[in-house]
Amino acid sequence: MRLTCPYCGPRDHQEFTYRGDASAVRPVLDNTSIDDHNAYIYDRTNPDGLHRELWNHTSGCRTHIIVERNTITHDVVSCEPVGPFAEQLK
Amino acid sequence: MADLAEKLSPLHELAMPRSGSDKVILSERLCDSLVQVQAWPDSVGEVEKQIKQTRGKRNVMPTGPGRWLIDDQSEGLEEKLRKKIGAELGAVTGLTHARVVVSISGEKATWVLASGIALDFDVTAFPIGTTQMSHHHEIGLTIYRVGENSFDLYVFTSLVRSFWHWIEKASAEIGYSVI
Ligand SMILES: [Zn+2]
Repeated sequence: MRLTCPYCGPRDHQEFTYRGDASAVRPVLDNTSIDDHNAYIYDRTNPDGLHRELWNHTSGCRTHIIVERNTITHDVVSCEPVGPFAEQLK
Repeated sequence: MADLAEKLSPLHELAMPRSGSDKVILSERLCDSLVQVQAWPDSVGEVEKQIKQTRGKRNVMPTGPGRWLIDDQSEGLEEKLRKKIGAELGAVTGLTHARVVVSISGEKATWVLASGIALDFDVTAFPIGTTQMSHHHEIGLTIYRVGENSFDLYVFTSLVRSFWHWIEKASAEIGYSVI
């Protein structure tokens, strides 16, 4: 599988580190509900089909990207930069 | 930064000069100054200007958004940049002792690198005078293309012996020399 880093270009996925589900939203800090925090950490839908996930280009420019990927076919639909330099990389 | 002890190569006996084929020529080099500068998203232009205005014989390699690795042929670049680039502009990190440069040249140099590093080494995809980051078996590499058949690889000091073992074995099929 190849991922296209917005800074470095297309690279082997082994240069990247998987950083988890990009759709999980951390509860706000003053939310003291154990259930909400538990859901953020553990509850995943594990879809068959399109999945948005965070990857870091560890052996490259170290930029985080959001990859939209088909979990059945491994087709990569898109790679978008995230983080403080995201706008400059678009 | 306090003065550190004399620079010693971790490669020691591994990279002793020896004659052989000139199709692959390996050598090692320790940097006089190697500094990473990371700008903040709103200070990229200003940091770039400050780097340009700091005199020296150097190679400035872009290694990420707002980030440069600077290899300077004189000591003290870290202190010079620190004076110009404060925390409001970015972060200056001294890496002089943290990397060893492994140089590879010769008509088969590209062939050797391509046998273990998943990068497009064609000169149109990786032009002379540009930098690419990649890895070899999870040892991170910053690769600067000096010429069509000549590369400088910036390798983590603590992992360079392992990397040197690979590059020697990969070159052995063709024959190589160490200078
Ligand atoms: Zn990258």
